[in-house]
Amino acid sequence: MLKNIQEWTLLLVIFGFVSLLGNWVGYEVMPVEAVPGIIVLVLICLVGLIIQKLIPVNIPSVAYVAIVGVLVSMPWMPGSEQIVEWTNSVNLLALATPILAYAGIAIGRSWTDFVNLGWRSIVVAVFVMLGTFIGSALIAEITLRIQGII
Amino acid sequence: MTEERKNLWKDWRLHAVVLAIVLVTELIGTHQFSVGPGVILLLPMLYAIIIGLALYFTPIIKDKQSKNAEPLIILGVTLLIAKIGVIIGPSLPQIIEAGPALLLQEFGNLGTILIALPIAVFLGLKRESIGMTHSVAREPNVGLIMDKFGFNSPEGRGVMAIYIFGTVFGAVFMGLISGFLATLTPLHPLSFAMASGIGSGSMMAAASGSLVAAFPAMETDILAFAGASNLLSLSTGLYMSIFIGLPLTEKLYDVLTKRKDKKDQNKTRIGA
Repeated sequence: MLKNIQEWTLLLVIFGFVSLLGNWVGYEVMPVEAVPGIIVLVLICLVGLIIQKLIPVNIPSVAYVAIVGVLVSMPWMPGSEQIVEWTNSVNLLALATPILAYAGIAIGRSWTDFVNLGWRSIVVAVFVMLGTFIGSALIAEITLRIQGII
Repeated sequence: MTEERKNLWKDWRLHAVVLAIVLVTELIGTHQFSVGPGVILLLPMLYAIIIGLALYFTPIIKDKQSKNAEPLIILGVTLLIAKIGVIIGPSLPQIIEAGPALLLQEFGNLGTILIALPIAVFLGLKRESIGMTHSVAREPNVGLIMDKFGFNSPEGRGVMAIYIFGTVFGAVFMGLISGFLATLTPLHPLSFAMASGIGSGSMMAAASGSLVAAFPAMETDILAFAGASNLLSLSTGLYMSIFIGLPLTEKLYDVLTKRKDKKDQNKTRIGA
C-alpha cells in the first residue's frame, strides 16, 4: 500500500510537471501560478486511489477520483472557491496532451493489428463512432430545447 | 498495479520523450481550416498522438517504453478526471438542471446500432457485425462480448476490430468530427458537449477540446457537460449494453439477415 502510494505520487508529480510546462508554452500560464492547481489535482487523485484500495467494492478508481473532485469544488463546500480558482489555472487541454503522447507511444504496438483490420471494419468503425455521437447529440438537443435551456 | 509495473517513474527516456512531444506540439498550437461551412480543428493533442506513434517506429522508443506508457495513460486519465471533477463541482446546479437531457442522451449510444449495423450487414459482414455495432466497444463492452460469445467467436473478433480502431484512431477521429459537426450542423454546441462523453477519457478530451476551441465563450459549460456525460457513460454503459444494446443488435441482425437471405434466394431462383 505504502509502495503503491509512493509510486502513484512520483508518477503523478512527473505527469503534473510535464503538464505544467505544456500549460506554460501552450496557454501562457506561468508555472508558479499553476503549481497550486496541479498540487490540488494530484491530491484529489491520491485520495481517490487510496479510497479505492480501502473500500472492498469493485468500482474503478476514476469514479472515486471524480466524486472527490466534485465534492471539494461544489458550491456548498466551504473553501471550494479557492480550489476552483487554483485549478482554473490548469488548462484541461494541457492535461490531455501528455496523455495522448503516452497513448501514441503505447498504441505503436497495436499498429500491426490495426493494419490487418481490413477496409470493411474501418468503414463500420467510422459509423459506430458517428452513430453514438450524432444519436446522443440529437437526443440532447431535443431534450434541452424542451427544457428551454438552449 | 501489478508487481512488474513498479518503478515506472524510473523510465526517464519515456518521460523525456513525452516532455519533448508536449513542448513541440504546444508550441505549434491550435490550427484550423474550413471545409465548406464547417471548421476542422487541429489540436496539440492530435499532433501528440501522431508524433508518439511515429516515434514508436524509430530507435528512440523501444518496446519497453511502449509497454511502460500503457499504465501511464491510465494514471494521466485519473488526473484528467480530477480536473473534470472540479469543473463539474461548481456547475453542479446547471448539471442538475440539465439532468433529464444528460440521462436521455445516453440512449443516443443506440444510434450506433441503427446506423452502423445495416451498413455492416450490407458490406457482407456476418455475426462479426453484432460485436462491432452493439456499442462503441470500450473495455467493459469487450469484456461483455468475450464473456458471452468467447474470444475466438465471430462476435469477439468484431468487437476487437472496433476496439483496436477506437484505441488507435478514436481520439483523432472524435477531435476532428466534433468541431466539424458542431460548426456545420444547426445543433447546439452543448448538445455535442453531452455527446462527447462516450465513456473514453481520451476521446472525450479530444471531442470536447475541439468544441472549446470552436466556441471558447462556452468553455466551462462544454467541459462540465462533457465530463458529466462521460462519467454517466462510464457508469451506465455496460448495463445499457447488457439490457438494451446487445439484445436490440441481435434482433435487428436477425431481421436484416432474413431479409437479405430472402433477396439472395430470389436472385438465385431468377438466375436458375
